[in-house]
Amino acid sequence: MPGLYVHIPFCKKKCAYCDFISFPDYSAEDLYFVALIKEIRQYAPLMRDRVFDTVFLGGGTPTSLKPGRLAAMISELKKAFTIKENAEITSEANPESADEEKLNELFSAGVNRLSLGLQSADDKVLKGIGRIHTKEDFLRAIDTARRVGFTNINADVMHGLPGETEESYLDTLKLLFSLNIPHISSYALILEEHTPLYESVKSGKISLPDPDAVADMEDAGFDLLENNGYNRYEVSNFALPGFECRHNLNYWNNGEYLGLGLNSHSALRIRGEWTRFNNTENLKEYIGELGEDKLPVRNTRAIPRDEEMFETVMLGLRKTEGLSRQAFIERFSEDPAVKYAPAISELELDGMMTVSDDALKLTRRGMDFQNEALIKFMDQ
Amino acid sequence: MAFPKELIRNFCIIAHIDHGKSTLADRLMELTETVAERDMEEQLLDSMDIERERGITIKSTAVRMFYKARDGKTYMLNLIDTPGHVDFTYEVSRALAACEGAVLVVDATQGIEAQTLANVYLALDNDLEIIPVVNKIDLVSADIENTVREIEDIIGLPAEDAPKISAKTGLNIADVLEKIVSDVPAPKGDADAPLKALIFDSLYDNYMGALSYVRIVDGTVKPGDRIRFMHSGNEFDVTEVGVFNPARLPVRELTAGEVGYISASIKSVAETKVGDTITLADNPAKEPLHGYKQANPMVFCGIYPADGADYEALKEALDKLILNDASISYEPETSQALGYGFRCGFLGLLHMEIAEERLEREFDLDLVTTAPSVIYRVVMLDGSVKMIDNPSNLPSPMEIMRMEEPTVTAHIMTPPEFVGSIMELCQDKRGFFVDMTYIEESRVKLTYKMPLNEIIFDFFDGLKSRSRGYASFDYELGEYMESDLVKLDFLLNGEMCDALSTVVHRDKAYAKGRAVAEKLKEVIPRQQFEIPIQAAIGGKIIARETVKAVRKDVLAKCYGGDITRKKKLLEKQKEGKKRMRQVGTVAVPSDAFMSVLRIN
Repeated sequence: MPGLYVHIPFCKKKCAYCDFISFPDYSAEDLYFVALIKEIRQYAPLMRDRVFDTVFLGGGTPTSLKPGRLAAMISELKKAFTIKENAEITSEANPESADEEKLNELFSAGVNRLSLGLQSADDKVLKGIGRIHTKEDFLRAIDTARRVGFTNINADVMHGLPGETEESYLDTLKLLFSLNIPHISSYALILEEHTPLYESVKSGKISLPDPDAVADMEDAGFDLLENNGYNRYEVSNFALPGFECRHNLNYWNNGEYLGLGLNSHSALRIRGEWTRFNNTENLKEYIGELGEDKLPVRNTRAIPRDEEMFETVMLGLRKTEGLSRQAFIERFSEDPAVKYAPAISELELDGMMTVSDDALKLTRRGMDFQNEALIKFMDQ
Repeated sequence: MAFPKELIRNFCIIAHIDHGKSTLADRLMELTETVAERDMEEQLLDSMDIERERGITIKSTAVRMFYKARDGKTYMLNLIDTPGHVDFTYEVSRALAACEGAVLVVDATQGIEAQTLANVYLALDNDLEIIPVVNKIDLVSADIENTVREIEDIIGLPAEDAPKISAKTGLNIADVLEKIVSDVPAPKGDADAPLKALIFDSLYDNYMGALSYVRIVDGTVKPGDRIRFMHSGNEFDVTEVGVFNPARLPVRELTAGEVGYISASIKSVAETKVGDTITLADNPAKEPLHGYKQANPMVFCGIYPADGADYEALKEALDKLILNDASISYEPETSQALGYGFRCGFLGLLHMEIAEERLEREFDLDLVTTAPSVIYRVVMLDGSVKMIDNPSNLPSPMEIMRMEEPTVTAHIMTPPEFVGSIMELCQDKRGFFVDMTYIEESRVKLTYKMPLNEIIFDFFDGLKSRSRGYASFDYELGEYMESDLVKLDFLLNGEMCDALSTVVHRDKAYAKGRAVAEKLKEVIPRQQFEIPIQAAIGGKIIARETVKAVRKDVLAKCYGGDITRKKKLLEKQKEGKKRMRQVGTVAVPSDAFMSVLRIN
């Protein structure tokens, strides 16, 4: 079932590693929301046939907005789209701005899952990457969230950050265990071009832990997570049973989603064609075009069938349960185990993949070298 | 009808690189209204992009100008622009032989440099009248007095009344033209004698075929004549003769003393060799002009398509390149590591770089090149001699009696304070000291005999850095010399990589082996398994490095819907893999093969 994504492109301060579209300048906040509401209303008639199973408010920092803003927007979404009764509605939040007022507003508006950006529980590491919160802020936010009523909570953490050691990473995870946080995303830092961190590393001002140390960290951390009952259900995502993120699972199942807001991405089947498009990443254009009642859509592209198949493999193999053969057959009338037989047998021989009646699955080694495995599928 | 010979002046401009040769040529054309000012493109005679970008002249060109001198007469001035690099010394010498005079440009901020001298000697060898010109006098750092003194002391030319100009601003350019008119002798030669035309360059034109750029020494040539190339013996029918305006302009005939081109439906420039003499088939000259040499490639390297599928495209590109540059040689070769490619020979390192660049640029090819090699003379135990231009073809040491390598005589000019450091460099490059002279207080000339092998790698860079750019360098080829040479091989994960093999002096093998192994460790990306890199002489391992295995290769974060970007990342990774060469089990990036070159 399709998901809805809404992008909130504002942050009090941009983190050193971040290459998402977000601005520290809130002067356009009002105009942005006028445009966003227009966009929601424009899509309403186009989405009449769809029932949305998940909603995700991402950013940016949704909790840094003016009070009342998010509640108003969510009520617009509910008016415009058919959202399932027990839909998963997630909002991202940062510890420093997740205060009682904001969290209450979200919860009352129907948000039932909270995703907190912790990154590390080591204040030195946090400072080094330009985060404006501390471990204390995080503890307070968790406490508040639970008081308000949130039970389905995720914490984002990272490994491979400048100044981070295996010890501090494992301590971060242990803190989350002690708080009984049911979902943990643990991402290896990706050094993206055009970020301040990238520049600092290039110029030698900051050094990152070497790749072997990061691999050690990850192996130790992931073992620790699994030993504490967290199931690695995707490359970087861990959950206690029943707390998997439905919104993200929909991405990995290559399902439909509609993105709203600046630079959001969409994938929809339109008149039988698997179609991807995205919104402009230019705030002025976004506001201006919606002002003229035009959708600020860019890069609309019908994905050829073979590419759609590859996407489905690429995303499906991110899940530890693997790519469902049945779902693939239903979608493409072809068995992936047959279609990709040469790549699969090579990977099986190499100990990277296993094939069962149900699914194609990467082994742990296969997960570690997933790109290599995917290139084999791509080459075919 | 012919232009009066006594009013013709044939000259060239010689200079060290960057001393302003091409800029002066531009100004001369402007002042004589050969080219309208609005059509002026910087460095008009350097027509190749690479020439303009690098500020060097690769091919000789010519231009005819008319100048009304202060004596009231109008003169025909033929300027022949010559290449400015040691790789092309032979071509330069033939272009000089086509002239009666040479304008010697000396940069007033730099003074005499090694190439200045080398070119002066070449000009004197060809009995040219030399007209010194002091350039760049507009610059604050210009030292005119000293430059004049240097010209007088070092070259022995009176320079008191040498034109002092700025080619850049156009200052005193007319003085140069007046000097050419008054000092350069008019061409001798007899228009009625049997034809002797000296080929000083050639050019391939898509429509007309190979054109011979000639100086008519004796006789006359016109369309319809049957001509003979005296060295090759080939005969052709002339379809067109013309002059350089600077664009080609057909004329009725070319006669003794003139400079122009001959078109005769010649298929490739290989058939119109620089230095050859053109005569008439039915009234041939008794003997050719002297000075003809076959230009032989000195430096060799393997050139391979980065993508094996481009082999045919590379072959076609080389065929085309050679239409226009007969001094490049090539033959097919195969490498275990690189697949099918070509062994190519060049006049020198610059020539090689230019050819590679042209192949990549003009033919849109992605190339892998191996480290350059010279031709080794290998005397076998049975007394036979093998000439080896590819280290991987070197016979087993068990069969070799001795090895010899080509040498050069290197002339280095430098301010005295860098002498120590430069001597160290020369010694390090296995040079034998020949001579050191103070050509004046502030300039020392060092002469070394050195293996060519040592200067084709990074000698020039070393010289520049040790002298803060002040030293200049020129060389002439010498004889072969016996050396204790060994073949240095590299093994990746136990497999020998033929494309990395190189020949070095035994004393340097260890250092080189270590350095290359370290470099390879940097450039070979980590793979799923550990890769030992070994340097070996014969069967003996002399250095070892290890590329550690990669532990993770996965996109940590993949949601938020931007699937396209992730797909692009994978595409990029896949492309990168495609550009790698498989050596046994190890994927090696294409540029690793050149890294052997960039050590130190």
